[in-house]
Amino acid sequence: MSDQLKAAAASSSSGGSSADGPKETGWRLLLGAYFDFIRIRFLTMLAYRINYYSGILIYTLNIGVNYFTWKAIYGNGESLGGFTGAQMTTYVAVSWMARAFYFNNLDREISTDIRDGSIAIQFIRPYNYVLVKMMQGLGEGMFRFMMLMIPGMVIAILLFPVHLPTEPSAWAGFLVMLFFSFLISSQINIITGLSAFFVENNEGMMRMKRVVVDLFSGLIVPITLFPDWLSSILKVLPFQAITYLPGSVFTGRVHGVGIWNVLGIQVIWFVVLLIPIVWLYHASRQRLFVQGG
Amino acid sequence: MNAIQVQDLRKTFKVQKNREGLKGAFADLFKREYSEVTAVKDISFSIPQGEICGYIGENGAGKSTTIKMLTGILVPTSGSLSVGGYIPYEEREKFVRNIGVVFGQRSQLWWDIGVIESFQLLRKVYRVPELDFKKRLDELVERLELQDLLNRPVRKLSLGQRMRCELVAALLHNPSILFLDEPTIGLDIVVKSEIRQFLKDMNREHGTTILLTTHDLQDIEALCSRVIMLDDGRIIYDGGLEDLKQRWGTGREVQFQFGAPTKLEQLMQWTEEMPVTWTSENDLGAKVWIPLELNVSDVLGRVVGQADITDIKIIETNTDDIVRSIYQSGSAEKPEEKILALKDEKEVIHV
Amino acid sequence: MKLYYLDLLVEYIKNYMKTRLTYRADFWVEVVSDLLFQATNFIFILVIFMHTNSLGGWSQNEVVFVYGFFMVPFGVFSCFVNMWGFSERYIVKGEMDRILTRPAHNLFQIFLENVDPPALVGSFIGLIIMGISGSNLGLPFEWWTLPMIIVLTLSAVAIYTGIYTTLTSLSFYSDAPTGILPLMYNIQTYGRYPVTIYNRAIQVLLTWIIPFAFVGVYPAALFLHREEMQGMALLTPVVGAIFLGIGLLSWNYGVKKYKGAGS
Repeated sequence: MSDQLKAAAASSSSGGSSADGPKETGWRLLLGAYFDFIRIRFLTMLAYRINYYSGILIYTLNIGVNYFTWKAIYGNGESLGGFTGAQMTTYVAVSWMARAFYFNNLDREISTDIRDGSIAIQFIRPYNYVLVKMMQGLGEGMFRFMMLMIPGMVIAILLFPVHLPTEPSAWAGFLVMLFFSFLISSQINIITGLSAFFVENNEGMMRMKRVVVDLFSGLIVPITLFPDWLSSILKVLPFQAITYLPGSVFTGRVHGVGIWNVLGIQVIWFVVLLIPIVWLYHASRQRLFVQGG
Repeated sequence: MNAIQVQDLRKTFKVQKNREGLKGAFADLFKREYSEVTAVKDISFSIPQGEICGYIGENGAGKSTTIKMLTGILVPTSGSLSVGGYIPYEEREKFVRNIGVVFGQRSQLWWDIGVIESFQLLRKVYRVPELDFKKRLDELVERLELQDLLNRPVRKLSLGQRMRCELVAALLHNPSILFLDEPTIGLDIVVKSEIRQFLKDMNREHGTTILLTTHDLQDIEALCSRVIMLDDGRIIYDGGLEDLKQRWGTGREVQFQFGAPTKLEQLMQWTEEMPVTWTSENDLGAKVWIPLELNVSDVLGRVVGQADITDIKIIETNTDDIVRSIYQSGSAEKPEEKILALKDEKEVIHV
Repeated sequence: MKLYYLDLLVEYIKNYMKTRLTYRADFWVEVVSDLLFQATNFIFILVIFMHTNSLGGWSQNEVVFVYGFFMVPFGVFSCFVNMWGFSERYIVKGEMDRILTRPAHNLFQIFLENVDPPALVGSFIGLIIMGISGSNLGLPFEWWTLPMIIVLTLSAVAIYTGIYTTLTSLSFYSDAPTGILPLMYNIQTYGRYPVTIYNRAIQVLLTWIIPFAFVGVYPAALFLHREEMQGMALLTPVVGAIFLGIGLLSWNYGVKKYKGAGS
């Protein structure tokens, strides 16, 4: 951690000698520092060779196993919950691809920082702690997506008959929605992590969150396959915006104006989830600096 | 019989080089570059049974690496060693029943449970018969005055209390050889001297061989008849402590705080015929450097009666300073020559 | 010798209890969240069978039975062989030094120091699930049922132990903090579906390379009287012995390469 910060500080101080006004330079420095958090996390992930190679293998296997499980579930190819067999296998592949990008352990990192007390130092540094965590998560996501998922997907397509869309517009839309998936999932992680300030043991919360996100985002089972009462509840929760909605667009089940609706839902959840984060962040600072932790 | 016998012992580590930047990181993913670092370079020495030997040197000199090889934690790259009749890394589980190990920075004890529970567990691990255990524990507890601490969890002990418990933990199975890595680090003077006295008694009563690393010259002074000094993986001195200090010790420094302004000339005058050097920090503070052959108390005697003193601090040279001064003292002399000179000396002392 | 290790095990579990009595809430949090992880997959099975009545020729009760069996060795394994965070705790922080200066086998000491009895709750629930789905299927309870459950459970535990020990021993050579373990965790769950639904490559992988099929579907098939997998089921102890052997060998070799922490 301290190395990362040092490196970030070093490169940001060397990078800003422009003749702009002092305020603008400051902004640029800060922005540079935030970008460095992405870069450094990416490099850190890259440093472990065995993890990397086995990671590719395991991602390939994940796609493969899920593909065949669903193929077996479909058996003789009628449609389930509005998904055809081909749509379903694509949906599964895409969901795992998305998960590689949006998944991170920010909740665990934050609650560790809180429990060992290093959060106090983080809070007095001249940057926004939550934003830094977000950037680190982004670095991690980019690493997994580019370095694990894409090779894994290439191998999977060679080995198993997974079909991905070919139109560039579907991909462009997917990437935008994927970014929002990352934002929403990370926001939920941050909320869970910061709750360590107020709950004595948030280990249970973190595990619960993981189960809930995997299950209710539609990663394991598309939401439409759930019983009606459950899927109607899930439609008003933020989790579907992480996997199910972007997956539906990418598999072509939602098109035209519907795409904008999906994007709208993601944006709304992103904004709504900002409220508890801002509140928790201020309450945490309050607790740390006024009550002394 | 020698408790420890080491011949041409060497340990080389392969260290991975990280190339810089994103490009470097990608390159590392496909082809790693390694460099070799030799931490211990063909050292030889032997320690007879019942000796207390100090193993000193700067950080990174190879002390810990040697200790770890002697205790069976690390496997040597080459050379031979025998500790208490065993080759440590080959028959590790049998071998470690004869040794005790205390790493000053690392605990042997279980954090959350009472000290006595840790001892009970160690009894089982070391297969000490119940009766022997009782007798031994009673003896150690009394000697180190731990009666009141036994039921407390380790996390509630002070560092000094914990260190005394660590010693008990390392000695419960009555090992014939004891390895101590910085046993007094961070302790206050009282605890330090208690522990030193205890180790001395242990050595006298049970004939326990002790090898300790330390940065505290007073540990060495109080305990060791012999010192092995390491630098950059090689032994640069092996012999008595007095010789070492005489040859390389720089002396001591005493700091004074005065109640009333005291002139430097005045101080110099009081100690006129003594080979000491005064430096003043301000009107109310001064330092004097006293060479080894002079008694500190003689110098203090001159000053104490006459000046208005509020505080005195005596600063001993530590082993690091001595090692440093070995190199600084004749910068024209090459280290190799020194090592040769020292090797000759070793012959004189140990033949 | 055997008695010595058994004695130590009892001693360590006692200590675990003593420390845990002070943090009783944590105990239940752990039990509940463990079960939640398991529940994810159980819900998957339930949802799937709302829409179909066979998975590659296996009925819901059969798949649930396999799932129940899977939980039994997994609980035992998680209780007695817990290697999470080995690299961080023992290598980076240097706790391995302490382990190596004690007169019991180092790997066994690490198992002892990390015993995790709450995990056994999962095994009990697994047995209950087996009981319920087994009686739904009308499976007979033969004289060999109970002994075979024990033998196959132990074999499956040996397979887990072998695989995870091999992977963990990598941290002696490599800088890798054991980031592979969580990924492996995903893979092992694939052993609880009938492997015949996968293509050839994945079947071979899950049978012979990382043999997680032997901790779930193969041994369970014995009790389900699935003729096509009987042979595989009886092979479980052999695979267990082989993989445990590989694990121990690579561990012992790795310990020799241990570099110690810092200076």
